[in-house]
Amino acid sequence: MSKVRECVPERTGELDFPVEGDFKHYEVFTQLEHGKRHVHAGHVDAPDPRMALLYARQHYGRDEPCVNMWVVPSDAILSANDDQDVIWPRTDQSYRHVRGYKDIRSRWKEFRRECDIEEYQKEDLKEAF
Amino acid sequence: MSLSAATEELKIDWSIQEDEDRIGEFQGRIDRRELVEPGDWMPHNYRVGMLRVAEHHANSEIVGALPEGEWITRAPSLRRKLALIAKVQDEVGHGQMLYRVSQDLGKTRDQMLRDLITGKTRYHNVFNYPAPTWADVAMIQWLIDGAAILNQKSLAEGSCGPYIRIMKRINMEEAFHFKSGEDMVLTLMSGTRRQKQMCQEAFDRWWWPTIMFFGPPDKESTKTGPFMVWRIKTATNDTLRQKFIDRFVPAALDLGLKIHISVKDENGIIKRKPDGTLDQIEDPELRYDEEAGHWRFSRPDWDEFYRVINGDGPCNKQRVALRRFSYEQGAWVRRTVLGQYAGLPPSRN
Repeated sequence: MSKVRECVPERTGELDFPVEGDFKHYEVFTQLEHGKRHVHAGHVDAPDPRMALLYARQHYGRDEPCVNMWVVPSDAILSANDDQDVIWPRTDQSYRHVRGYKDIRSRWKEFRRECDIEEYQKEDLKEAF
Repeated sequence: MSLSAATEELKIDWSIQEDEDRIGEFQGRIDRRELVEPGDWMPHNYRVGMLRVAEHHANSEIVGALPEGEWITRAPSLRRKLALIAKVQDEVGHGQMLYRVSQDLGKTRDQMLRDLITGKTRYHNVFNYPAPTWADVAMIQWLIDGAAILNQKSLAEGSCGPYIRIMKRINMEEAFHFKSGEDMVLTLMSGTRRQKQMCQEAFDRWWWPTIMFFGPPDKESTKTGPFMVWRIKTATNDTLRQKFIDRFVPAALDLGLKIHISVKDENGIIKRKPDGTLDQIEDPELRYDEEAGHWRFSRPDWDEFYRVINGDGPCNKQRVALRRFSYEQGAWVRRTVLGQYAGLPPSRN
């Protein structure tokens, strides 16, 4: 055991200095690749934004390589109350999505040959159809 | 992140001398397909050029909502009405996002909105044409949104980070608009004789404006060159136009639509001959060029394009006036939330 550890005083009872209070909470957003959007990675507690960024780099920057990072004070975020606010649609809203128009292809068949429909749909966004 | 600059500085100026090393380094980044972010150094003309593109795009989204918005109350079914409301809402949302991108390039949002309604900046020419029937709504969604997707897919391969991120998201939403348009056109062309006729007449109104949607011919477009080098644009106007033609001409012909060249009056409505028939002919140049693998078509009426873009189109005044009315009516709300003296709400009478 080290010298210091041998000499640790055995004090009990209340501490003789007041509580410091918590650091501020910050939400951390990381950008994993140039050009991609920042996504929420987690949070850190820090005394000020600069320290928050430093902590976030140490903590989240080591979890996964990222190219950029934002820290945002948590109390700057206003969240919807999901019991009271309807933030997701509860009715059929298929009319506002591409999947709501699934029968388009069969409708084209009344007018066009299969190979022409293929050619025509080639330009459609792959990720959206 | 926002870099503010006075409005008078926001002009393209090729006489500006900038550090050649920095320009070289910047061009290197563009060539390596790196994305430019708002805090990065960029040449003055890149910033202004990108701002012009984003601001023009934002203006087009919110003005584009106006001709279709007129039809919400008159949609033929509940589902069509819901879809049209959702579409118009999307367009205004796109405008919102694009103004945000433009702000980071150095112009305030309020200035952009004011410049639009005082005629200092423009929006897509195509929205200066009228939408007198429900079939026009179908044509806007099929042709204009189809053209917009082609155009925006090429813009999404550009070099400005914030702009292309928004563009990818916008394209996802445009895809539903386009599908909804196809659905409407298919319904009309599978319908009664009158439905088909209405569809054909709307097609005649929108076909040429859509072809001109891609902008003037490459040899008349002054900005294409440098904008391509910086990847503000990634395809020329004529390339995109030909792509559109090759995709939509065969589809339209298969649907039973005819491609006409029509004589229009000052309201954008096709004139009638004394015998009551429409004053139009089938496009005499329309044919498939086997050798080139492309469809050929007549030269669009570029005189009309320049006339309309310079303010003398069928609906220019009407569109801007409506936007202006809305801006003026909302002034007291904006002042109130900013803590300024607001006065009384304006009377609607």
